Amino acid sequence: MAEVSFKKDVEALKLGQGEVFHGEGIMAVTKALLQSGVSYVGGYQGAPVSHLLDVLVDAEEMMAELGVRVETCTNEAAAAAMLGASINYPVRGAVTWKSIVGTNVAADALSNLSSPGVKGGALIVVGEDYGEGASVIQERTHAFALKSSLWLLDPRPELPTIVRMVEQGFELSEASSTPVILELRIRACHVYGSFATKDNVRATWSARDRLAEPATFDYGRLAHPPVTFHQEADKVDRRLPAARRFIVERGLNERFGPATGRVGIIVQGGLFNVLNGRLALAGLSDDRGDLALPTLVLNVTHPLAPEQITAFCAGLDAVLIVEEGAPDYLEQAVGQILRHADLQTRLHGKDVLPMAGEYTPVVMARGVAAFLARYDIDHAGLADWLGRVDAQARALAGTGAPALPPRQPTFCTGCPERPVFSAMKILKREIGPVHVAADIGCHAFATFAPFSQGNTILGYGMSLASSAAVASVQQRRPVSIMGDGGFWHNGLLTGVAGAVLNRDDSVLMIMNNGYSSATGVQDLPSSAPNAEGRGRGVDIAAAVRALGAPWIRRVRTYGVAGVMATLKEALRSPEKGLKVIVADGECQLARQRRVRPAMAKAVADGLRVVRTRFWVDPDVCTGDHSCIRLSGCPSLTVKPSEDPLRRDPVAHVNNDCVGCGLCGEVSHAAQLCPSFAQIDVIQNPSRWDRIRHAAARAVMALL
Amino acid sequence: MTAPATLRLLIAAMGGEGGGVLAGWIVEAATAEGLWVQRTSIPGVAQRTGATTYYIEMAPPGGIRPVMALNPAPGEVDVLVATELLEAARMVQAGYVTPDRTLVVGSTHRVYTMAEKTAGGDGRLDGTALRSQVERFSRHAVLADIAAAAQDAGAQANAVVLGMLAATGVLPVPATALRRAIEAEGRAVAGNIRGFEAGLAVVPGSAPVPTATQAAGAAEIVAAGVARLTDYQDAGYAQLYRDRLAPFEGRLAIDSFAELARQLALRMSYEDTIRVAQLKLAESRLARVAAEARARPGDIVDITEYFKPGPEEILSLLPPSLGRRALAAVEARGWGRLAMPMKIRTTRLSGFLKLRLLAGLRFWRPRSLRHAEEQRWIVDWLALVDRVQAVDAAAAREVIEAAALLRGYGDTWKRGRENWRLLVDGIVEPMLAGRLPRRHFADAVMQARLAATADPEGDRLVQVIAGVERLGQKTVAA
Repeated sequence: MAEVSFKKDVEALKLGQGEVFHGEGIMAVTKALLQSGVSYVGGYQGAPVSHLLDVLVDAEEMMAELGVRVETCTNEAAAAAMLGASINYPVRGAVTWKSIVGTNVAADALSNLSSPGVKGGALIVVGEDYGEGASVIQERTHAFALKSSLWLLDPRPELPTIVRMVEQGFELSEASSTPVILELRIRACHVYGSFATKDNVRATWSARDRLAEPATFDYGRLAHPPVTFHQEADKVDRRLPAARRFIVERGLNERFGPATGRVGIIVQGGLFNVLNGRLALAGLSDDRGDLALPTLVLNVTHPLAPEQITAFCAGLDAVLIVEEGAPDYLEQAVGQILRHADLQTRLHGKDVLPMAGEYTPVVMARGVAAFLARYDIDHAGLADWLGRVDAQARALAGTGAPALPPRQPTFCTGCPERPVFSAMKILKREIGPVHVAADIGCHAFATFAPFSQGNTILGYGMSLASSAAVASVQQRRPVSIMGDGGFWHNGLLTGVAGAVLNRDDSVLMIMNNGYSSATGVQDLPSSAPNAEGRGRGVDIAAAVRALGAPWIRRVRTYGVAGVMATLKEALRSPEKGLKVIVADGECQLARQRRVRPAMAKAVADGLRVVRTRFWVDPDVCTGDHSCIRLSGCPSLTVKPSEDPLRRDPVAHVNNDCVGCGLCGEVSHAAQLCPSFAQIDVIQNPSRWDRIRHAAARAVMALL
Repeated sequence: MTAPATLRLLIAAMGGEGGGVLAGWIVEAATAEGLWVQRTSIPGVAQRTGATTYYIEMAPPGGIRPVMALNPAPGEVDVLVATELLEAARMVQAGYVTPDRTLVVGSTHRVYTMAEKTAGGDGRLDGTALRSQVERFSRHAVLADIAAAAQDAGAQANAVVLGMLAATGVLPVPATALRRAIEAEGRAVAGNIRGFEAGLAVVPGSAPVPTATQAAGAAEIVAAGVARLTDYQDAGYAQLYRDRLAPFEGRLAIDSFAELARQLALRMSYEDTIRVAQLKLAESRLARVAAEARARPGDIVDITEYFKPGPEEILSLLPPSLGRRALAAVEARGWGRLAMPMKIRTTRLSGFLKLRLLAGLRFWRPRSLRHAEEQRWIVDWLALVDRVQAVDAAAAREVIEAAALLRGYGDTWKRGRENWRLLVDGIVEPMLAGRLPRRHFADAVMQARLAATADPEGDRLVQVIAGVERLGQKTVAA
């Protein structure tokens, strides 16, 4: 069960004709899927699209009613392959993941899906993890749309348009036999707004109304030669024109502003609001989007309809392409269309706007201002605003204010993964540094201070595979870190099986915290089975053993000394081959969500409850903060010393402490200092507690 | 032609603080009032205690749906809500807070960043500077210690902030609508309403901002030192402290003398196992712990102390000659990392007795190896201060302050001694011998001292020393 409960959102999914939905963009997409009569939905969790799946998993009952199959895929390749149902059958399906990374993983299946094409509409909802807040490499999904002939939707970031694009995306997919990608940037996924809902539609064929027979054998539906050659031709000869026709006829792209003018703008739908805000400053639009320049909003960024582009550009002296990220695919495509049509409209884009990086309001403003200046279009308001932004920056620089340290995300208070990195840091002093292959997941926070470790990140579940050659050129064995999420996503096969097959001499540390935590605490095959979740309790150590890994140990992560000893053994053991350490410790976020209410209830019911937390003795602490450098726990902080002779702040455990005990363990393992103490508060103590306590007090008072 | 009636609100928060819930309440209330409203955010993994922002736009009802922004723009933010002081300053530095427009509703409390916490010594930013920057660049700043207000109200900080925001009257929704939004959200309603009312009642003003501790005067410090050493050992030991200080009085500048008095008191009350036991037996401790752990009347509080004296700490209690031989033997056998991990429950009789026994060794302390070594170090250090003072008073001041490298227990203490050795052998002695350019004396010691303080386990100190040596070679060559 996921981190957030979606009970309220599930209710919103039930809204019918004429009602109003209020919620986030990604939830609006989910509702639109149901309004479009999907038969199946799948995907792999990842910000910013996790909630699409999370809410459907929580809406089990309703999905059963509609006959919608919801699949929690083990990776994006599985999700893309799931769309294979729409190759032979007239069923609509949607999958979701975080892009670019998820699209990379899905690439093989996507190619094999798009080659035969689809009968039922197939929609891929990707969270374009680009710009501020992104956690992955900065690349464009656009590349995949181009190379695999997938259509790409980039809707204006407001709920009615997003919903319309989902609905028309299925129609476009069916009209052109082509899978469609719906791309939403981070802020669009999380944009909270409203739209008028329609009734949900029960698919003709679904888990409730099953097809009696499988598809008849049709070689043409396989991605296998020789039909792949026909399919390649079909993509360009039939599907592409059909798509262009649909896009133009159904008005998927939007034309704003006057019919003619000297200059115009072509903008990706997702960037429209940023553009509009800056044009409004220039007096060329307003807060209702009443534009004074001809503007073409591309809610579909691939394919372009050449006749639409030429019709828009004809008569314009110049056009500005507003397109985020590199390479400049749209600009290239528009340029080619203009050339083919022999139109002399001047083309601008990446010459005034930057090739790389997010188009924030300031970046957009500078580009637009340069474009407008070039064509002598009055934009005094915009120039003034930019002047004020620059003046403010100068004023700030002039104050000599301190540079602010970053505040990176880090392991939660009590996180079971932190102790492993504490152990590694302490061990480093003893045996020297080792190459650390990092991975995707919460454990990647160990790349930040205070651990600052990790030599590479090659992808989700890829750490072990990425260290294969490293092991062969290093004296000390490399250590690969992998979460249980990464293990099931990819690491089991690309990592463990590969290392066993090749007898790689290295160490793999698997963080078994019980969930895919970084993406929002979703269940994995190894999650504990319980009433609400999807966990199946598959044993990771057993899986590794079954693959033939020769050396497997289990450690409890909170026991720092134990982790150190095991890791040392793995690094020093004369035994060759893969050494796997399964580090067990339940995700504290998930644990607290369960434990806290239960404890509060027990206390209220008068039951004996022991609450544990840690404490630093401010008289004993000397303000060196070694403990913080070895832990980095959010609840381990500093406060002013009360000692008149000490000026440095002392370490301090605040009340967020969940009593995981790491600080005590670290002070033991590193022989740091005796300032740590564990405090057990016995609430509703038993009579025996009280007697023993009173007796001890009495004797101590005598001494 | 932006409609001036649109209100743009930016929330700067840290992951896990409930910033999303706060944004949700505002949006819920605005929606219920029929306003056009849009909210967005970039949570991602930033929700794991990293800095993050939420952005809301609200426009009057009616007309066609406005085109609202998903990104805040510098100079266009009407209200900044910040749940922590540095995050408010971060938004100021990003240009979002402008004197013509932005009302800041924020907290004066600090949640220290990793860099501030991990520095050895005091790595905290000056809170006063942060605060004055926020005040200077905002149209108006309503600042209060929201964390304290939340704790007093027994509520979450986000509810208190909402109340403070409502009290400013800047929102186009009445307080009643915000209360209804909290109720509609349906989670921890009583606590959140309590927090909201507390926020409404908060009187913003000159809540104290955390700043560096002010230095005390020399007389005050000497008095504190005498008291500490009397408690640490006895009156005779305190007299030794006075005697050691005496030659420096008048010879050092007054602030350097005060610093010497402070460092000498700390070094003479070096942290050994006996001292720790002594401190942990303090009568006032239990009440303090109980209050900090928020124990309720009737609860029983148990304290378990974490102790792990290594061979060095235990064997250095032996007389010098015996102790040295024992330690050499331990070293030869590679037993240096062996230690006795102990968890002593001092609220139980057996644990209490163990500590009493340890604390009782105080009479023995002057005969111990550790004592002999600490005293020798102190004598050497004072002699060094004396020699450096003869050539460069500013450098002497740095040598005095560098005594702070030695502190703590176990590994921390050992590393401190190593770093001290590096500093003396790498910089102070070569300077005194004229092998390094003397005009950089004070600066070099300071750089080395700061490097070792900021990064005690790292190689920054070694780099500084290497840099100073290169400087020396260049100067000699020239």
